[in-house]
Amino acid sequence: MTTLTYTSIEDIEKFHETARRAFDSGKTQSIEFRKDQIAQIGWLLRDNEDRWREALRADLGRHPQENDLLEFVSIYTEVNMAYKEIEKWTKAHSIGFSVNWFPMHPKYKAEPKGVALIIAPFNFPLFLLLGPLTSAIAAGNAAVLKPSEQTPATSQLLAELLPKYLDNELYHVVNGGVPETTKVLELKWDHSMYTGNGRVGRIVAAAAAKHLTPLTLELGGKNPAVVDPKVDVKMAARRLLWGRFSNAGQICLCPEYVLVPAEFQDTLVEAFTEAYQRFYPEGPEKSDSFSRIVTTAHAARIKRMLDGTKGKIVLGGQADVDNRYVAPTVVRDVPVDDVLMGEEIFGPVLPIVPVKDVDEAIAVIRAKDHPLAVYVFSTDKKFQDKVFKSTKSGAAVANETVISAGVPGLPVGGVGPSGYGYYSGKQCFEQFSHYRVSLDNPGWVDTVAFGFRFPPYKPDYKKHIGSLTGALPPRPGQKSAMKVVKRWGLWVVFALVGASSALLMKSGRFAQLKAPAQA
Amino acid sequence: MSGRPSSYTPLDEIYKIHERTRQAYRSGRAKSIAFRKQQIAQVGYIIKDNEDRFIEASKRDLGRPPQDTIFFDFAGTYIDIKLMYDNVEKWTKPRRAGCNLNFAPMGPRVKAEPKGTLLIIPPFNVPVFMLMGPLVGAIAGGNAVVLKPSEKCPACAELITELVPKYLDRDMFQMVNGGVAETTRLLELQWDHILFIGSTRVGRIVAEAAAKHLTPVTLELGGKNPVVIDPRSDVHLAAKRTFWGRVVNTGQVCLCPEYVLVPKDFQDTFVEAVKEIHNFFFPEGPKRSSSYGRIVSEAQVLRIKRLVDGTRGTIVFGGDVDVSERYVAPTLVKDVGLDDVLMSEEIFGPVLPLVPVQDVEEAIEIIRSRERPLAIYVFSQDKVFLNQVFENTESGAAIANETVISAGVPGLPMGGIGPSGYGYTTGKEMFDQFTHIRVSLNNPSWVDKIGFGFRYPPYKKENEKFLRALSPALPPRPTEKTSATGNS
Repeated sequence: MTTLTYTSIEDIEKFHETARRAFDSGKTQSIEFRKDQIAQIGWLLRDNEDRWREALRADLGRHPQENDLLEFVSIYTEVNMAYKEIEKWTKAHSIGFSVNWFPMHPKYKAEPKGVALIIAPFNFPLFLLLGPLTSAIAAGNAAVLKPSEQTPATSQLLAELLPKYLDNELYHVVNGGVPETTKVLELKWDHSMYTGNGRVGRIVAAAAAKHLTPLTLELGGKNPAVVDPKVDVKMAARRLLWGRFSNAGQICLCPEYVLVPAEFQDTLVEAFTEAYQRFYPEGPEKSDSFSRIVTTAHAARIKRMLDGTKGKIVLGGQADVDNRYVAPTVVRDVPVDDVLMGEEIFGPVLPIVPVKDVDEAIAVIRAKDHPLAVYVFSTDKKFQDKVFKSTKSGAAVANETVISAGVPGLPVGGVGPSGYGYYSGKQCFEQFSHYRVSLDNPGWVDTVAFGFRFPPYKPDYKKHIGSLTGALPPRPGQKSAMKVVKRWGLWVVFALVGASSALLMKSGRFAQLKAPAQA
Repeated sequence: MSGRPSSYTPLDEIYKIHERTRQAYRSGRAKSIAFRKQQIAQVGYIIKDNEDRFIEASKRDLGRPPQDTIFFDFAGTYIDIKLMYDNVEKWTKPRRAGCNLNFAPMGPRVKAEPKGTLLIIPPFNVPVFMLMGPLVGAIAGGNAVVLKPSEKCPACAELITELVPKYLDRDMFQMVNGGVAETTRLLELQWDHILFIGSTRVGRIVAEAAAKHLTPVTLELGGKNPVVIDPRSDVHLAAKRTFWGRVVNTGQVCLCPEYVLVPKDFQDTFVEAVKEIHNFFFPEGPKRSSSYGRIVSEAQVLRIKRLVDGTRGTIVFGGDVDVSERYVAPTLVKDVGLDDVLMSEEIFGPVLPLVPVQDVEEAIEIIRSRERPLAIYVFSQDKVFLNQVFENTESGAAIANETVISAGVPGLPMGGIGPSGYGYTTGKEMFDQFTHIRVSLNNPSWVDKIGFGFRYPPYKKENEKFLRALSPALPPRPTEKTSATGNS
């Protein structure tokens, strides 16, 4: 097992300082510069794919395909999207034409927040670090990255390779455990992003509050899957098992429990059994397509949950904690208050909870915290809609699990205890930026229109405001009873009256406003 | 003031109000866009039908001339109402997401959904707009809301508390009144989003309380907004719009200019121009002018007085206060140093310090050495000068040849950065905060047969070609780029 070199406290402060100075130097203002850095993230990965695969196998026992599908493809997609879209994302936008305001050219433009902190979890150590980093760089920030100490091989490799590809002053990797993370959280950041569990999420949020730092939190969820008996059960079974067993169940979007009508449970279990055998013809422990749990502590935790279940194990159930192995497991007849229905399992165990009908399924879901995703297996649109409309989640996915995170253009984010903010795509870019608004108000505007705002106020003040704001929507109950008094903008009114004087102003001779002349 | 005012909501009521609002949200009635539009329209009529009463209440609380109420509170709200009413359908429609051949059969979509039950805590200085504006944004998003108006403007709070239940859905939108104890109780509860507008100190308290519940937050805090003057600019224009920005609402707007960085040799010219504007605005003197307002409380008057009395700059005009009338004269102070007491905190009153500088570089230095403000104002007709200041500074707003009014432009998101806050209190960006994007897709079974079948174990070596197909080509390496273009 790789020994991870922890960053010293002095170095943590130094990196923070250096990143701040580098940001202040204005280096990131150039879009070309940002694009180069973004491209480099892609090459950091591509040039070293074999080394990354080796590290991920050491840390998570992952088969190369899972790395490729779940991490590499996602990162390449983020890199490609940011590289292509950055000009569009960072250009100044005019607001829609508004007759009252257009001479001021109101605009808004995404600007960097400054120095970002990105804390990644253990389960997707590359995607959940380099993905947000891509957005942070596209937005023009400097960044300090804190990968998980629970994936030492990957985190060590990041510390070695990142400086070879990215600007050394703007971007830093900090490695360490609780003391190092605590130090990092004491410092002041301009945006912090944390992916992980709710307990630590609260600690991160409290630290951010002291500095008034804006925050993105991607937390866990107990994602339910509802099965309609009329569905193609073979399809449902394989997609559910794929979602639960990939990465040995350590994906925040994994289905955490299945709600199925009681009379259909046997059929579903049969379909699971068939899919299971096709996935692991020689058994999962010997399969190179099944990953391991990140640490023995987590393996022990999952085993404890399994040992405490009141349900019946129908597939799997074995564990070899020292080798961080927990078998892909399906448990049936799990009651709603079972230990497997308490906290997030975050492992390859799928409880089946038999219910009376879809209404009971919905009640079970609603009684729990909002999850990251709600999954429904049904080809009946009405069935799908019923479940989705009665529940709340970051994702509402039909006939599939997990994959929504990989779709370019679909932002991944939670709601309620599953978190807030987004960690991919344009929405992630927007979090790492702030919109700076601008306008430039020519002098003649006061002569022609906005002069009324200056004291001494005149009795006709209200009339000017009326032209500025336009008519209210119709009163509810009065369809369009309100005669739509066409409120032409100030411009048309004054243009008709003062057209010639306006032209004079526009020609460049700014009006010398002498008291008490008003339009 | 001894004892709790009777207008304050009893502490044990607060929990019940929170519960009722949540139940109302869960009833699902806000799912209907028609409902939301109806409620948004009604907010407009709360004001329209009662304009005179609001003007009267503002006069009692803030000593405001009616025009300030009309400009800041009414106009701002009507503009936001129109924006939300006209756009709520568009913004809440499900949209196709991305255009990617690999995933297209799954029909990926995004839709803005409500967060749930919101808490909105507006400030005292623009008590209607800063409450109703966020309220209509929250309604457009389909949320239920608890509103906690500022106790520092009791007449306005009372009026709003009376009218809201008469016009809006009584369970979805509820009022809580009170001071520190009541606000603390509110912050102990779980909300789906909190929007707070006020001081930095209380902003921290709100963020800390929200952290316990993992509640997302929007903060609109203070800032010491600078003005930079180009000596070549139209001095009359600069003086007029800067001084207006400082005295309107008696200087109590978070976007007010707080100090002016003026070239040393230009200070006297600028001073003369401001004096002229002062006389133009208040021909009978400000105290007697019906166009000039008052400060919200005696305590605030004393605070501002302390700052003015402590300045080492030279008072050009003003400087006098009348505590019993809550009057602070429009005051101009020149030759103010960077370490002057007038530069130490947000004045939030009608006092304008002039800080003489060598040149624009020094002005930029000074701005950069201080906390990032809500706005930076530059008066210049030279684009190069404007860009130099804006590109080397950071702020929520970068405004040329104007002050304050950016908050009223429909579609321009108002927000801070750093200690001036985060998130937005106007525009679509505000709506986005009050909603979360729910993504959806529906994957037909046949997709596995022709595309995604390879993902199932046991993984085969030949799957690599599928994986390659999923990955887009990488952008060129930076070194390849330079050699390609021939620049090394």
